[in-house]
Amino acid sequence: MADFDAIVVGSGMSGGWSAKELCERGLKVLVLERGNEIVPERDYVDQMPPWEQSNLDRISEDEVAAHYYKQFPGVSYAVKESNKHFWVKDDEHPYETAAGTEYDWLRGYHTAGRSIMWSRQTYRMGPQDFEANKKEGIAVDWPIRNEDIDPWYDHVEKFAGIAGNRDGLPQLPDGQFQPGFELTCAEKEFKSRVEAAFPGRKVIQARVAHITAVTAEQRELGRSNCQSRNRCHFGCTFKAYFSSLNATLPAAERTGNYTIVHNAIVQSLQYDEVSRQISGVQVIDAETRETRFYSCRVLFLNASAMASALILLQSKSTAFPNGLANSSDQVGRNLMDHVSGAGASGLISGFENKTIFGRRPGGIYIPRYANITEHDKPYMRGFGYQGSATPLGNVGGQIAGIGREFKQAHGAAGPWRVSISAFGEQLPNPNNTVTLHPSKRDQWGNPLAVFNVGYGENERIMQVEAGKDSVAMLKAAGCTEISSRTVTLTKPGNRIHEMGSARMGRDPATSVLNGWCQAHDVPNLFVTDGAFMTSSACQNPSLSYMAFTARAAHYAADLLAENAI
Amino acid sequence: MKTRREVLQGLIVSIGGASMLAACDNAARVAVSNSQSLRFFSDQELALVSRISDLLLPRTDTPGALDVNVPGFIDGLMAEWANTRSQESQHRQLTELGHMLGADFVTAADAESTLRELDRAAFSGGTGYGGYRALKGLITQSYFATEEGALLEQHWVAVPGRWDPCVDI
Repeated sequence: MADFDAIVVGSGMSGGWSAKELCERGLKVLVLERGNEIVPERDYVDQMPPWEQSNLDRISEDEVAAHYYKQFPGVSYAVKESNKHFWVKDDEHPYETAAGTEYDWLRGYHTAGRSIMWSRQTYRMGPQDFEANKKEGIAVDWPIRNEDIDPWYDHVEKFAGIAGNRDGLPQLPDGQFQPGFELTCAEKEFKSRVEAAFPGRKVIQARVAHITAVTAEQRELGRSNCQSRNRCHFGCTFKAYFSSLNATLPAAERTGNYTIVHNAIVQSLQYDEVSRQISGVQVIDAETRETRFYSCRVLFLNASAMASALILLQSKSTAFPNGLANSSDQVGRNLMDHVSGAGASGLISGFENKTIFGRRPGGIYIPRYANITEHDKPYMRGFGYQGSATPLGNVGGQIAGIGREFKQAHGAAGPWRVSISAFGEQLPNPNNTVTLHPSKRDQWGNPLAVFNVGYGENERIMQVEAGKDSVAMLKAAGCTEISSRTVTLTKPGNRIHEMGSARMGRDPATSVLNGWCQAHDVPNLFVTDGAFMTSSACQNPSLSYMAFTARAAHYAADLLAENAI
Repeated sequence: MKTRREVLQGLIVSIGGASMLAACDNAARVAVSNSQSLRFFSDQELALVSRISDLLLPRTDTPGALDVNVPGFIDGLMAEWANTRSQESQHRQLTELGHMLGADFVTAADAESTLRELDRAAFSGGTGYGGYRALKGLITQSYFATEEGALLEQHWVAVPGRWDPCVDI
C-alpha cells in the first residue's frame, strides 16, 4: 500500500493544478515543495503603501551583489525590498553556465512558486502552433492538436478567471473570458491607426488572469474581483489574480485529500525494475537535512521545466543509467524561452485633456501576424507585442520643467506615451541543454545545474525585424519622439518562460513524453510543467501548462481507476 | 506649519535622521536635530539638494519637497541603499552640478531662473546633464513616495476598485 495515491513535485503554476485535479478525483495527494511555506496573511505585502516602503522599496546594492546578483538584474521591475522573500538568494541556489553562454534562472522557492510573482498574461496557443514543427520539419511533431486541448483551456479558464475580450482571431483563440480591461482612449486610437495601415495586424486588450466578474466557485475560495491596484508582484489579499496559493491549492485542500510538505527537496525518483514504474520519491529536508522516502502510485513532476529535467537526470538506475525516462536522450535538451529585445516607444497626441483612473494589470497585445497574415518574412514563426498607451505623468521626474507646473504634471493635461515590446518564438534546438555538473554539488548534495543555451539565427533576425515593425507601427499611428531600442536580445531564461526540457512527441526514440504528458518509458510518470512543450509558440505559456496539466491529471486518474498503472 | 524659510534653514544646518523618516512617523519628517545626524550628504551638498528640491517641488496648496523632508529621505537612501561606488558617483555628480549652477546658487535670488535654464538644456537633448536628471528623478520619486506627495499631489489611491481608461481632466 503506497503512502499516497499521487505525489506532485512542486506547488507552482502547474503543480497546483495537478494537486487540485487529482484531489478532486478522490486521490490522496502529497505535494512536495522544496521551499518554505508562504502564508498570505503573513507574507503578502500588497497592502503596503509607498510611504511605508524603505528606500523606494529598493534592495540595497550591497545586498543585491551578495544575494540577488542574478534575480535582481533579471527581474528588477519585480524584485523589491518588501517582496524579496519571494525570490531565491542566488548564493544559496547557485548554477553554472557553459563558457561563453549566459542564462537567467529566475526563481521563487516557496508555496506556489513563481505563480505568486508572474505577470499574469494568459493566451491560448493556436492551431498553427501545434502544426508548425511538422509542416516545417523542425524538431518533432506535437503529438496532439488544438482540438485535443481546447476543452481543457475552457476548463482551466473558468476556474482561474481570465479577463479578456473575444477578438475572433484564429491564431489566438478566444476562451472563457470575464470582462476585459478596456483600452485607454489613446490605445483605441493607436489600434485604429495601426489596423488601418496594416490590415493583417490587430491591437487587442491584453488577456490577464484576473477576476473581473467573480463566480460562485471563486467566491467560495475567498477570491474577489481585481481592484486595479497593480500590487500583484507582492501577493494579492483579494486573491483576484490566479496563483496556486490564491486558487488551486485551496481548492485541493478543501477536498480533504491534500497534504503538502515544505522544505522537501527531491534527491531522486525511485524506479522499480520489476513493475517498471516509479515507486516513490527520496527527499532531503532543506533545514534538518533528514532524508525521507514517500511511496506513491503515480507521480506528477511539476518542479519547473528546468528543475524537473534535473530531477530526472539525477534519478539514475540500472535501467536508466542516463536519467529516468531518458532512453531518448532528450531530457534536458531543447530548452526554450521567449526572446525579447525589440520594441519602441513614442508620444501620441490628441489626449492631452484626458487621463486614466486605476492601475489595471495589463495593457495592449498585438498578436502574432508574421507568417500568419503576412508572409514576406526573412524568418520562421513570429512574435507578439505587449504594450500600453498611458499618460506620461511625472512620477519618474523625467519630464522637463520645474516648480508648480512640474509638481502638478501628474494627472494634469499632458502627452501620452505608447510603448510596445516583442516576445518572439524560440525554435527548439537539441544543443540547448541543461545538464548536471560532474562534480559540484549544492548544500543539499544535489549536482549543480549547468546551462548551455544560445539563440539561433532565426531568433536574431526575427527580433531585428520586430524592432523595425515596432517603429513602423508607431510612425503609422502618428507618434512623435519615437525611440527604438538597439536590439539586444534578452538573455536565455530571462522571460521566465522555461520550456522544452522533456518534450512531447509521437516517437519514444525522439521524445520523452507522449501526448498525455506521460513518460514513454515510465507509465506512472507525468511531467506537466513547461518541460513538455514541443515548441514554444510566442504566447505567454502558463495557461497552456494549466490546461495540459488538468488534462493529464484526469487521464492519470482514469488509468489508476482502471488499474492500468 | 513652519515657513518654507524655517524648514530650509533647519535642513541646511541639520536634518532629521533618515531612518526615523523611513520609520514613517509623520511628526519626524520635519524634525530638526543636529548636523551630525547627516549620514551621506555634506552640509554643502545638503544645501544644494535642498535648494533644488524646493525649486522643483515648491510648497503650493500642497506641501513641498522640503515640507516632507525629501533631502533627508535621499540622505538616508544614499546611506542605506547605495554602495560605495554609487555614493562616490553621487558626491561627484553633486560637485559637478554645483559648478554648473554657480557658487552662490543656494542663496542667489535668481536661483529659479538658473535652474530653469539648466533644466531646459537637460531635457532638450543636451549632454552632460545625467547627474542632474538622475537627481531630479530621485527627488521626484522620493516626494511621491511620501504620504503627502502620494495622496495630495499624485492622488494615489490604495484601492481604486475599478479601471477607467479615459477620464476628462
